[in-house]
Amino acid sequence: MKTSIKLTTIKSIAASACIIWATANFNTVFAATSVQATVNGMVCAFCAQGIEKSLMKMPATKAVFVDLKKKIVAVEAKDGQTLDGKQISAEIKDAGYDVVKLETVALSVDDIKAAMKTKK
Amino acid sequence: MKRSFAALALAVTAAVHAGPMGFNGSTMAMGDFSPNWKEAWVNRAVTPRDAFGAGGLQMRSDDKRLTRNLSELTYTRLVHRINGEHSQANFWFVGGAGQLTGNDFGGSKTMLAPGVSADYETTRFYASASARLYRAQGINHDFVSARTGFSFYEVDYDETQPWLIVEARRMRGLSEKMEITPMLRLIHNRYFVEFGVNNMKQGRFNFMYIF
Repeated sequence: MKTSIKLTTIKSIAASACIIWATANFNTVFAATSVQATVNGMVCAFCAQGIEKSLMKMPATKAVFVDLKKKIVAVEAKDGQTLDGKQISAEIKDAGYDVVKLETVALSVDDIKAAMKTKK
Repeated sequence: MKRSFAALALAVTAAVHAGPMGFNGSTMAMGDFSPNWKEAWVNRAVTPRDAFGAGGLQMRSDDKRLTRNLSELTYTRLVHRINGEHSQANFWFVGGAGQLTGNDFGGSKTMLAPGVSADYETTRFYASASARLYRAQGINHDFVSARTGFSFYEVDYDETQPWLIVEARRMRGLSEKMEITPMLRLIHNRYFVEFGVNNMKQGRFNFMYIF
């Protein structure tokens, strides 16, 4: 009887572990990827709107976030698609602003937005 | 007579202060309304640095005896931009050409109005200056203005930001008065509105909207 209960418990733990492992791997495989640019000269709502609009036209773009105070433009890629950092940089430059830093981060735009809000 | 031309020039120049063009591919609508002039115009940014527009303007002199109407085509060029770490400075050229009519002369006159302006802004501070020539046959009214202001606090770009803006403007040879207008400006991501009362106790309302 005790052996049966132990076996059931072990099976439950193993099943839970499998679920956790699978979830973790799923999140790793499908983790959101964003390109985060630090932009000089972006000081007004109209600037932000122009940049947002041009970046949203890119086929791989899922979402865009702009933080004027921290000079950040974040672009999130659609699932399974890759963002072209050079193209993002060119779009921002073409809109009239200077990109001083560009990095790829494993975060969604919502994550970046939440992090910026926390920092304020 | 002189006052009416002052009103004309002030109205045409007002939109320059508001930022003369939007981002590439955008259409910007602007308006400037007060008892002595009513103006509306629209322009289309065909590149990040060039915009073409058209506008209409009705104005009258302070004594309400003279009226003027101007229909104008404009070209706006962002000549140079300097992007700072927390600031932006712009140098603009605005050229206008149109037909001027009035109730004290027959027919219409062709008016040419080339001008330059410069602005500097951060997320909390704004300053600009502009100069524009207004020339037609027998008419010469050069105009200068300056604006400065600050925002009360910073906001995210999709929130409404209030500013206090003070404008001073004057037209050579038309009036010895310097018009000074303090205005409350509210900017949201697609529009701004300004309203205030000048030192002649006239109300004023401006707006700008980007499509």
